[in-house]
Amino acid sequence: MDASFETDFWKDAQLRKKWDDIVPGEPRKTMPYVLTLEAIQRYCRSVGDLHPLYFDEEYARKSAYGGLVAPPSIHILLMFSCTPADDWMRSPGTINAGQSWSYNVPARPGDTITLQARALDKFIKKQRLFVVHDNVFFNQHGAVICSGRGWTIRPQ
Amino acid sequence: MTDLFDQLSAGDAIQGEPFQVSRDTIRAFCDASLDYNPLHLDDDYMRGSFGRTHFGGVIMHGMTNFGLITRMLTDWAYSAAAVHRRLETRWVSPVKPGDTIQPHATIMAKQVTAGSRWVTLSIEVRNQREQKVAAGEALVEFPRQAASV
Repeated sequence: MDASFETDFWKDAQLRKKWDDIVPGEPRKTMPYVLTLEAIQRYCRSVGDLHPLYFDEEYARKSAYGGLVAPPSIHILLMFSCTPADDWMRSPGTINAGQSWSYNVPARPGDTITLQARALDKFIKKQRLFVVHDNVFFNQHGAVICSGRGWTIRPQ
Repeated sequence: MTDLFDQLSAGDAIQGEPFQVSRDTIRAFCDASLDYNPLHLDDDYMRGSFGRTHFGGVIMHGMTNFGLITRMLTDWAYSAAAVHRRLETRWVSPVKPGDTIQPHATIMAKQVTAGSRWVTLSIEVRNQREQKVAAGEALVEFPRQAASV
């Protein structure tokens, strides 16, 4: 893990936008992130996924992928690694209600990954405050890695 | 190129591996995903209420379900030279330390388009009490020629 990553999500809580402040359509601040093999494999181990495409360089080189890749769901890590500490996705109490993602090319170790992200919609349902966010991750060649949308319930 | 696509039928089932959830696995997912939301770490915080929702203790990241479903789909797709293209999920009920969860998929339909061949699947994750904790849909591509990835 990057030693500069702030793991105390309370620390910048007051800097983050509340539901009332979030403007649908407004871009979120993002930053490039270099995806390492170590980070890929740490993520894979956390879900018990030891497929050789993520761990065995020789196997991966001979496969249709031509080398080691990250699993499609690596965007779970990228969402936090490509956004700053004051991003509202980190607000304590944010509840993830569901997500949908489409996959194009795989992320690979060494890729410099960028994110275009924004709130797309916000609404109130059953007294809960929802925000819909949409996101597209790109590699250093400008190719789309994946695109996705998520529904979160915001802390009151 | 695989011929598996031709052999698949609506109703065919795929099963993922069981996953035992503990405080250690939740902490490992925090470190792997960089998601340190106190929902997953702080019992005192979780004794409070969240609007109309009361959890009573730390809960697993919903996205762990997503990762486990992905693992099931990619294990299946890679072995058939197919490509996992889409996953949509919603979380139905929280998962807590001590639970064992397992993803399941059922083929809903096959479709051939101008450019490729597709399988749609319905998805469920169930716990040890056979309660549904997550649900969704997935789309897997079976290219006519070796996948260009």
